[in-house]
Amino acid sequence: MTFPHINRRTHLYLGLFLLPWVIMYGVSSIPFAHNQYFEERDKAKNLPLWTKTFEGPYDLGPIPETGPLRPLGEKVVREFHMDDSSYGVYRQSPKQLNIYVHTFWKSTQFKYFVEEKRMTAEDRRFRFDHFLTGMHARGGFEDGRFFPILWAIVVDLVCAGFLAWVLSGLYMWWSLPALRRWGWVAVLSGLLSFALFLWRL
Amino acid sequence: MLSLVLRRVHMYAGLFLGPWILMYTASTFVMNHRTLFRGHEPAPPKWEIEREMVYPGEFPPDAKAPQMALQLLAAVDMDGAHQANLRDGKLTVNRLDPVNPRRITFTPSDKKVTVEKQVFESAVFLERMHRRRGYQHNYILEDLWAISVDLTIAGIVVWALSGLWLWWEMKVTRKAGALALLAGVGLFALFLAVL
Repeated sequence: MTFPHINRRTHLYLGLFLLPWVIMYGVSSIPFAHNQYFEERDKAKNLPLWTKTFEGPYDLGPIPETGPLRPLGEKVVREFHMDDSSYGVYRQSPKQLNIYVHTFWKSTQFKYFVEEKRMTAEDRRFRFDHFLTGMHARGGFEDGRFFPILWAIVVDLVCAGFLAWVLSGLYMWWSLPALRRWGWVAVLSGLLSFALFLWRL
Repeated sequence: MLSLVLRRVHMYAGLFLGPWILMYTASTFVMNHRTLFRGHEPAPPKWEIEREMVYPGEFPPDAKAPQMALQLLAAVDMDGAHQANLRDGKLTVNRLDPVNPRRITFTPSDKKVTVEKQVFESAVFLERMHRRRGYQHNYILEDLWAISVDLTIAGIVVWALSGLWLWWEMKVTRKAGALALLAGVGLFALFLAVL
């Protein structure tokens, strides 16, 4: 087995294994890139995006001024029986914490008002574009559970895949002398356009 | 003939879009390891003063933030994509720039204009590039960038579909390829069920 052969097979099999992610990242980029269109389309339906499911007194305990906030989110997802979901905790202001609890299919937003010791919970209506963008944006190793970490590892693998496709693709192009001239045109025009954007955008 | 066209499109699109793919790859890696690169609670970006001046002009009495921002940007010779915010009479214009974003503030009491440059951080730069998109700004270069993002999206979908076609044509790789594809689809379906 020669290097060009290994190179071709790696390019191919890696592509086939990661195909669902490649398609997902490609298609889910459309609602990101054309956000206004999708928002207007949804607005025309005249349906509320969020539905309040809880509002009442709640004590989250002392809120640290600095440092990780995840333990607070953990308490909320446990007490609201949402342990199977991922979550992120964000300091909206010194007086408010927001906790987003989400799966690919469902999202809940908790708002904790520190001074009043009050909590609200709202469920987000399912939207296919949000389903796609949610998958696209999913990543990170902060969630210590098995499947979220495995997903983050696959995201790294997709990164490695794209790098491998670029490098192995360059090698395959260079191995075809008849295509070098037009290949150079494509490579240089891509590099120049990108450099122009970096310089002038 | 179709195969040849697909092979060429697959390759030339890859050669042209290589810089975009590398940028999205690096930025995705950085975002996937955000805590490693930026810490648990990322600090707000740092700014350094680039220049200060007195703005001698006047804004129309009923001017809103967008109009004032355009006038101010023209005065400091920094016209381009931006976001403007007017609070308590103080105008803040964030001039978007992939490498060195600027913040221009105007305080009406002393007519002082301060231009600040964001201190460069590679992780922040990559994330900014990753998120830059859309046709919302009235500048042709912004639209061209948005078109290049759309082109990259089209490229990704075309690579996936043409790759499938090219694989299916090579009988010798069908069995191993089908295994790889099924393994990927199976794992993806599992994630859909549990995440």
